[in-house]
Amino acid sequence: MTRKAGILTLTIFLFTVTLVPVKAQTTLTFVTWKPSEPQLWDEIIARFESHYPDIKIRREIGPHSSTQFHDLLTQKLKNRDPEIDIFFMDVVWPAEFASAGWALSLDSFFSQEERQKFLSGAIAPNTYKGHIYGLPLFIDVGLLYYRRDLLEKYGFSVPRTWQELVSQAEFILKQEKDHQLTLKGYSGQFKQYEGLVCNMLEFIKSHGGAILLLNDGRALDAVRFVRDEIIGKIAPRGVLYYEEPESLALFIQGNAIFHRNWPYAWREFSDPTKSRIAGKVGIAPLPHFPGERSASTLGGWQLGISKFSRHPQGAWKFIDFVGSPEIQKLIALKIGKAPTRKELYQVPEILTQNPQFKVKQAFFGADPRPITPVYSLISHVLQSYFSQVISDPKSDIRTLADRATEEMRYYLSWEREQ
Amino acid sequence: MGEGAVKRAAFPYLLLSPAFLFVVTLAFFPIAYSFWLSLHRIVFVLPHLGESFIGLENFARLLQDTRAWQALKFTLLFVGTTTLSELFLGLLLALALHQPIFGRGLIRAIILIPWAIPTVVSSQMWRFLFNDQYGFLNLLFFGNHPELYRAFLAEPISAMVAVMAVDIWKTTPFCALILLAGLQTIPQELYEAAKVDGAGRWRQFVHITLPMLRPTIVLALLFRTLDAFRVFDSIYVMTQGGPADATLVLQFYGYKKMFAEGLLGYGAAISVVIFLFSLVVSIFYLRLIFLKK
Repeated sequence: MTRKAGILTLTIFLFTVTLVPVKAQTTLTFVTWKPSEPQLWDEIIARFESHYPDIKIRREIGPHSSTQFHDLLTQKLKNRDPEIDIFFMDVVWPAEFASAGWALSLDSFFSQEERQKFLSGAIAPNTYKGHIYGLPLFIDVGLLYYRRDLLEKYGFSVPRTWQELVSQAEFILKQEKDHQLTLKGYSGQFKQYEGLVCNMLEFIKSHGGAILLLNDGRALDAVRFVRDEIIGKIAPRGVLYYEEPESLALFIQGNAIFHRNWPYAWREFSDPTKSRIAGKVGIAPLPHFPGERSASTLGGWQLGISKFSRHPQGAWKFIDFVGSPEIQKLIALKIGKAPTRKELYQVPEILTQNPQFKVKQAFFGADPRPITPVYSLISHVLQSYFSQVISDPKSDIRTLADRATEEMRYYLSWEREQ
Repeated sequence: MGEGAVKRAAFPYLLLSPAFLFVVTLAFFPIAYSFWLSLHRIVFVLPHLGESFIGLENFARLLQDTRAWQALKFTLLFVGTTTLSELFLGLLLALALHQPIFGRGLIRAIILIPWAIPTVVSSQMWRFLFNDQYGFLNLLFFGNHPELYRAFLAEPISAMVAVMAVDIWKTTPFCALILLAGLQTIPQELYEAAKVDGAGRWRQFVHITLPMLRPTIVLALLFRTLDAFRVFDSIYVMTQGGPADATLVLQFYGYKKMFAEGLLGYGAAISVVIFLFSLVVSIFYLRLIFLKK
């Protein structure tokens, strides 16, 4: 008798235990990098969950570095992990994720009409073979930051061309030598990593060249200019291993006249507790070569849905919510990330907080890196080529460029192969 | 043959089978699978290409891959320089620690610290030490002249020296530990007999310590060589193979091909090359250990 009762109790208990989760909410897993501003993301997710009480967001935090985040995320997707619903994509990944069959097409969720409200430059890299795979949440563009105080002191206006930038820097360095031995002319990101491609793209594009045609005269001259005039004259050799933080540190300590960085940097300079140059910094579009136009590399992060997700509807609700004007505005105001919705560039509140967004041509006309599923292969060829050319003052640019161009052509041919 | 005899004959195999299964699943199968993969063209991000069998084409391409050659050259330089330096410095350390000095136990423990710190952590630490703006090494070399500060990881040559120096710093204690264990197995009587015969310290070292230590030295070399071939984490953290691919090692190149670029076949071909190199080195060392006996 007691045994029967025991079995009965156990059955009832098991029943209740298995029933409870069925009644509860859906939990969506969101793969994100380690944010520098965790409170903001706590707030966004809390807002979403109070708006949609039947959905819970579980965050899976990956590394902060884009390359390492890519390795982690693609590993999970290669394993067809059904636990993943939503993920961040760097601007160069959607084509790859679409081609590999990892990202779900968002065509039925993200209407053409809605896409019109976004910067076209931000939508393009999310589109592959006519379908859309990601919603751009914020964009990055390359900007020129300069020491307004030093330029004013010597009566210079903001440099329009790279040549002007170099000659201004050389002049100022000569004059300031007695006060400040540690002052350098230019600080950017030239380590052998993805950031190097972004920096070099700006030089090549602003000389009318193309990054996939490295052995064309325009691209060759731009690369030679970086080697001989930027690295060879006004930048410290240290830039050859600088990523964003190191290059920013040089500028923020008051040790560089010109600095190339993304929009986030503005907040860092303006914070007097971190910066020795608060109030002395100006912002401008990056220079170009004579007769050409300025170019800014497009960066930024998109939200996508895994093809293996069991809850694509719920996942879209989250993406739609995070990409809404309200949340994008919140992000812009709190941490100064540039929105992807055009209307937000009219909001005075956002612009006073983020004067860097006023460099409209950079945000509205940013240049994407090649949109192809084999981008990571292309990028490694480019990184290797650029690093070899600029770190050796006697490098044989022509031969190296021929070889790199040929290798990229080979990889790109796979995409067309049947 | 009776039933009992069959059982008796099968019994040893039964006992061996768990170990056999273990080796097959964890060692032979992955190696064989890598070989198999290396004969295919598999591009993860282009599934429409399928997984075609291409024979040795990956290896043929590898032979013409200038970055692979550069990686191979630096890997060999890295293996040679670090293993020999670690062995030499480790031997000096081991001899010192073998002496009955005050606080020997504590010193032995302290010396192991570099080896005990996870490589990712210590590499990050060294990356900071090498920095050209706030790096301690610059302060050490150039003191109060910040205009002279150098970016050690920015120049190909100094970056190569730097990553090798970090490996030597980190793994010398490991060699010292193995050699110390070897020293302790040498019977004290041999030294006493040598002393009676009037042999000095140097002759004792050359004629007793070194020959007796030979198997241990070869063992340490074997461990270190195989390990150095697989160097990955310090490169990953400190240089990512740059600048100008100067510190690119095979293992990191293979990783990039396989995981970042999704070229499974090509990445596997690189792994196979690393495996073959390691195999040759192991056979060479193992013969050194066993031939004498």
